[in-house]
Amino acid sequence: MHYQTESWGSYMSSRSASDPLERVQRLASENAVVIFSISSCCMCHAIKRLFCGMGVNPTVYELDEDPRGKEMEKALMRLLGTSSAVPVVFIGGKLVGAMDRVMASHINGTLVPLLKEAGALWL
Amino acid sequence: MASHRVGETGLSGSGPSNQHMPYAVLQGIGLPSTNFINQQGSSFDFGELEEAFVLQGVKLGDDAKKPFFTTRPAATLEMFPSWPMRFQQTSRGSSKSEEESSDSGSAQNTDAQFEPESSITNKALEQVLDQNQLQQQQQVEMMASDTSRTRPTPNQQAKSLRKGSPSSTSEKILDAKTLRRLAQNREAARKSRLRKKAYVQQLESSRIKLTQLEQDLHRARSQGMFVGVGGGGGGGGAGGNISSGAALFDMEYGRWLEDEQRYMSELRTGLQAQLSDGDLRLLVDRYLSHYDEIFHLKAVAAKSDVFHLVTGIWTSPAERCFIWMGGFRPSELIKILMAQLDAFTEQQLMGICSLKQSSQQAEEALSQGLEQLHQSLADTIASEPLSLGDGTTTNNVADYMGQMAVALAKLSNLEGFVRQADNLRQQTLHQIRRILTIRQAARCFLAIGEYYNRLRALSSLWTTRPRENMIGDESSGQTTTELQMVQHNHTHFSNY
Repeated sequence: MHYQTESWGSYMSSRSASDPLERVQRLASENAVVIFSISSCCMCHAIKRLFCGMGVNPTVYELDEDPRGKEMEKALMRLLGTSSAVPVVFIGGKLVGAMDRVMASHINGTLVPLLKEAGALWL
Repeated sequence: MASHRVGETGLSGSGPSNQHMPYAVLQGIGLPSTNFINQQGSSFDFGELEEAFVLQGVKLGDDAKKPFFTTRPAATLEMFPSWPMRFQQTSRGSSKSEEESSDSGSAQNTDAQFEPESSITNKALEQVLDQNQLQQQQQVEMMASDTSRTRPTPNQQAKSLRKGSPSSTSEKILDAKTLRRLAQNREAARKSRLRKKAYVQQLESSRIKLTQLEQDLHRARSQGMFVGVGGGGGGGGAGGNISSGAALFDMEYGRWLEDEQRYMSELRTGLQAQLSDGDLRLLVDRYLSHYDEIFHLKAVAAKSDVFHLVTGIWTSPAERCFIWMGGFRPSELIKILMAQLDAFTEQQLMGICSLKQSSQQAEEALSQGLEQLHQSLADTIASEPLSLGDGTTTNNVADYMGQMAVALAKLSNLEGFVRQADNLRQQTLHQIRRILTIRQAARCFLAIGEYYNRLRALSSLWTTRPRENMIGDESSGQTTTELQMVQHNHTHFSNY
């Protein structure tokens, strides 16, 4: 699992302030498995452990450590339609959802094929 | 066979025989006898009647008020939908009275043909609530014999939905187009009947639940008030007042357990009776949706009193041993099932093993998340100095309250974990249903139910176990009583 903290600076200087949702989408499509999280959130910790336990190496963005994290958080809240923006998982650039959707898809056997398809998991 | 009867009754477009005829025709055609729904749309009756008059060459001057089936026990195999008020009887249980009152009932039908939905369900509800499920069998037999009886029902004013029925159609000239149209109509009618059946059943069960809930809520509130007055004291001391949300949940859970026993015995008899897969599927799905209900109830309870769920007070002591995040551990359940049931296909075995693995991974993830919550909470509570070295603690009220506020926010995350755990349980049960065949799923759910029954039995044995005397001869007395206890328990268990 790697945390994208160092490259915030380069993002800010090279790109103009874009729509937070666009930014979310862009970040989400740059890696196979992307998790938006908050460092103090325990459910986020749980979801990270879930992926690590499966042998996946997700890319984690801690929104509380991002200067534009607040806007992204609001955008995610609108996207998900819930009061809690995090954790939220994107696989292969596509939105999978929050913890309940991720767990449901793991239980019904659709998560692993999705991960394999995105190249995040090998046999 | 049906046509013979029709011929005998000398149909000529009069009311009573018309009532007969559709049913008889249906029997002849072999449509399921359960589909007698009086829908408000006109398309429903069309297919059958159209077919009926074309095939039988009989004039239908009336709309199709189908034979009346009073009872609609909510939890039975054959779900007879409710009927319009005018057909509903006041007593049930004897097939004779059923026919008679339906006759008298239909006499009142002069105006509108269709009852509003609500009054249908009203009447049906009353029927259902009183209905003994065994009568279902009687119904079937009664209906089968009904067709042989002439029904002297008065003719009804028809705002006829039928097409014109000239007697010229008495000859059986059927072209391919007509046949196809008839078949399509039949299919559409059948589908809309099934939809309506499902909808009505849903409505009725929700209404029953609603009234029961209202009663329980009323009772809980009055109980809550009593406790508040009598118990007194500061909020929730040890053994103090139980919160109203928790009390309500306990009551709902008690009722859910009773319903579960009922559904279990249905499954059991269904399996023993070698029901068809279709019928068994209905039972299994109902059992599963019953479980969905308890998860929903738990979600509601978690909002008001998550600690009640987490500590497991609502379960029996033996169940409480195994509690994980407010309920059962899905992977444990799967392990039990794998040991119990045999004869899995290779594919099923793989599916179950992968389910076990994924549920274990999910449980592990949630447990680790919860552990972090504990750690974080502990850190917050201890963040203000607990002791200043001289035995005193900090006097800074503002800091203390700030610390408490942070801790409160963290504690509220507990609800999220219980909800995710319940979500995991629910998904696991549904996945089990998907992997297995319908018979296996039925046996499986029965096994689960029986397992928890035994845990609850163990709990009650435990609470009523004989305790040794404190006074008197301890050494020998103790061993004897312990042995007696063990034997007592063994005898009980052998019954299970």
